[in-house]
Amino acid sequence: MKEMKIAKNELVSFLDSLISEYKVFAPVKRDGFVVFQEIYSGSEALLVYANSKKPPKEILFPQSEVLFTYRLGGEGLGIEEPTFKDKQMVIFGIRPCDAKSLVILDDIFNSQVYKDVYYIAKREKTLVIAIGCNRPSSTCFCTSLGGGPFSPDGSDLLLVDIDHEYVVQAVTEKGKQFLKKHSEFKKVEEHSLSLMRSVIETAGVLIKSKVETGEIKKKLDVMFDDPFWDWLHEKCLDCAVCTYLCPTCHCFDITDEALDQRGERVRIWDSCAFPMFTLEASGVNPRPTSKERTRQRIMHKFKYFVDNHDMAACVGCGRCIKECPVNLDIRTVLNSILNR
Amino acid sequence: MGINKMQQPGQKVDGWKPRIIAFLCNWCSYAGADLAGVSRLQYPPNTRIIRVPCSSRISPLLILKSLQHGVDGVLVSGCRPGDCHYISGNYVARRKFAILNNLLEYLGIEKGRVHFAWVSAAEGKRFAELIKEITEEVRALGPAKELVKKQD
Amino acid sequence: MPDTSVMIRDTAKKLLVEKRVDLIIGFERGTLPLRSTPCFVRRSVEAEKLIWNASCENNLARYLRKRKEKVGIVAKGCDTRSIISLIKEKQVAREQVFIIGVPCHGMIDRRKIEAKLDGREILEADEVSEKVILKGHDFTEIVAKEEFLHNSCNTCNYRNPVIYDVLIGDKVEENRGIDEYGEVKEFEAQSADRRWQSFTNEVSKCIRCYACRNACPLCYCQECFVDSSQPRWIGKTTNLSDTSIFHIVRAFHTAGRCVDCGACDRACPMGIDIRKLTKKIEKDVKELFHYQAGVNLEDVPPLATFNLGDPQEFIK
Repeated sequence: MKEMKIAKNELVSFLDSLISEYKVFAPVKRDGFVVFQEIYSGSEALLVYANSKKPPKEILFPQSEVLFTYRLGGEGLGIEEPTFKDKQMVIFGIRPCDAKSLVILDDIFNSQVYKDVYYIAKREKTLVIAIGCNRPSSTCFCTSLGGGPFSPDGSDLLLVDIDHEYVVQAVTEKGKQFLKKHSEFKKVEEHSLSLMRSVIETAGVLIKSKVETGEIKKKLDVMFDDPFWDWLHEKCLDCAVCTYLCPTCHCFDITDEALDQRGERVRIWDSCAFPMFTLEASGVNPRPTSKERTRQRIMHKFKYFVDNHDMAACVGCGRCIKECPVNLDIRTVLNSILNR
Repeated sequence: MGINKMQQPGQKVDGWKPRIIAFLCNWCSYAGADLAGVSRLQYPPNTRIIRVPCSSRISPLLILKSLQHGVDGVLVSGCRPGDCHYISGNYVARRKFAILNNLLEYLGIEKGRVHFAWVSAAEGKRFAELIKEITEEVRALGPAKELVKKQD
Repeated sequence: MPDTSVMIRDTAKKLLVEKRVDLIIGFERGTLPLRSTPCFVRRSVEAEKLIWNASCENNLARYLRKRKEKVGIVAKGCDTRSIISLIKEKQVAREQVFIIGVPCHGMIDRRKIEAKLDGREILEADEVSEKVILKGHDFTEIVAKEEFLHNSCNTCNYRNPVIYDVLIGDKVEENRGIDEYGEVKEFEAQSADRRWQSFTNEVSKCIRCYACRNACPLCYCQECFVDSSQPRWIGKTTNLSDTSIFHIVRAFHTAGRCVDCGACDRACPMGIDIRKLTKKIEKDVKELFHYQAGVNLEDVPPLATFNLGDPQEFIK
């Protein structure tokens, strides 16, 4: 891993220079909360924040995405597909947990068995610059899921805030090339590197929230019919807050937005919390109640996904904990499973 | 030919003509419109009539969906109070519409997009005049804009 | 006077032991500061976990429908009003619920406190009578509860339960001299363009998670119009027109039923000001039809009845 540095006061002008070349997404404050949006000036980017309200997954996997448009004209049916002519993209300021979520999404949308052109077209053009978390929140439990406040997974570059400057770690080859190309990155002194190490160490200690996730899968393997599920769901509202704000949830539905003789086929987020998610045309619903749906969410994240991808579909970002309207805390759920 | 074939919703183009949907109850207002017709009364041709059993059949969704798809004006018309074929349908509808009418105005949808009326089966002349009046009002407002659905 | 939590626990235990109810729905300690969470108690020993504080913000009436067992429910003023609406709509039988009424001083809106702290995280919060002591990494702040209540609590006129089988503690003084519809009037005074702009600005934040609908005790349609595919009333994307119609129609569906408990507002993760709509409808229902939802079991719901002299100036 090769380190460089960039002075804090040069960051805005650096972002400005990136904007001319790339489509740059960064955390910004809108309507009182933080979201990732395309920025048009480096000063828009928010550098000190806990994490965004909505996960940055929507940059690569938007809530609504047009797959193609169609039109019935004099010459018959015409279909128009997206051209993917977008500029190269930079996602700047993403947190390590969310960067790790991209590894998970990659495994779904760009795997041996399935290649999603819409996702891949954007993903391949994307450079991920993460900023590590000097002060993780009390709801962060990334270390329980193999991540950490300075985990490099999923990032091309990782920035470590050491007060007056950022130490920049090149994580991937793509990141290394990027560092070489931009003269704003300077050689880093040993003093900064030791500061960086102490920042990383301190942050690790600050993560107090821990769940022994190693055992979860084994427990879940034999828990499908456990009475545990009979009461777990009781307070759940069956809304999609947890799934829509989750950086790894990736289930979708496909719908037609048609008007007269033209229309769009659109991919939209869907949620296993909704009864409609599994409702069949016959009227049968294999997951008829909240019980089955709550079980599905937990099972998918911590068992089925592990079976299929060898990792849990959770990065410990804590969004579902913060935003659940009834405080159904996933850490409590996991701990209860461990105690079964 | 669908109503959308004439012009794109929400756009004022040369020769723009307002498009109005009138939901008329089967027993009074539709008969009133019929009477206007058989009496050879002239009124602007911008209105498409949809016949419904009773004014209370009209859900706010039908009105909002009309506006969403680019209709410039909506009229809901039923029997005069006391004349409802189903005894009290229009009285119940009146309450519903009072709340809806206020809510739409509150949200900033222009007054004059959505109209409510009582037209009896004998009021062919009044129907023709009502349509004239509403057409002019909607024409003055221009094409619908607020709720019109634009594809992203 | 004994602590409210203790009184709730004792009542719950007694009810369960005497088998007067099979289930108690109440609150237990949540996992975050300023957060309590709904809990379901079936055995008297579990009643020990029941609590009461200013973060018992959820409307538990939401959990009452479709139950076979007899239920004891911990209910604030607004919750009892929702229960009345549910009883009137024949969703819950009066004799099936045992209402443990709790007078309420208003619930804390933690988002307001978070906004005041501007990014500094609350790690610990203690309620001490009228104050809340907030502790974070390197700060301690003491704030007055009443400055950080939910908007619906600020304009509440029913802090005391409207119906109950047992009342926990003494009644509290109702809010006085508040203009319940102040915000609505302020909004009404703006120009139509401004109103439309702020409405669409609010709903453009919507992620269609339906937390507002699902938190509402009165949103219980077998099939919600947004889920219907035959006919498909509105699209399922975050298209602004579709989300606008979703919010207008959902609010409209609560006309004459909404008790302004604020559950929709509190559930929304995006902070959409949903009460802007529901409160207006509530105001109109009161002005036009002299009806307030959930204040007694007798009045007929306003949209299920009519008067010959109902207002009709708006009808041509």
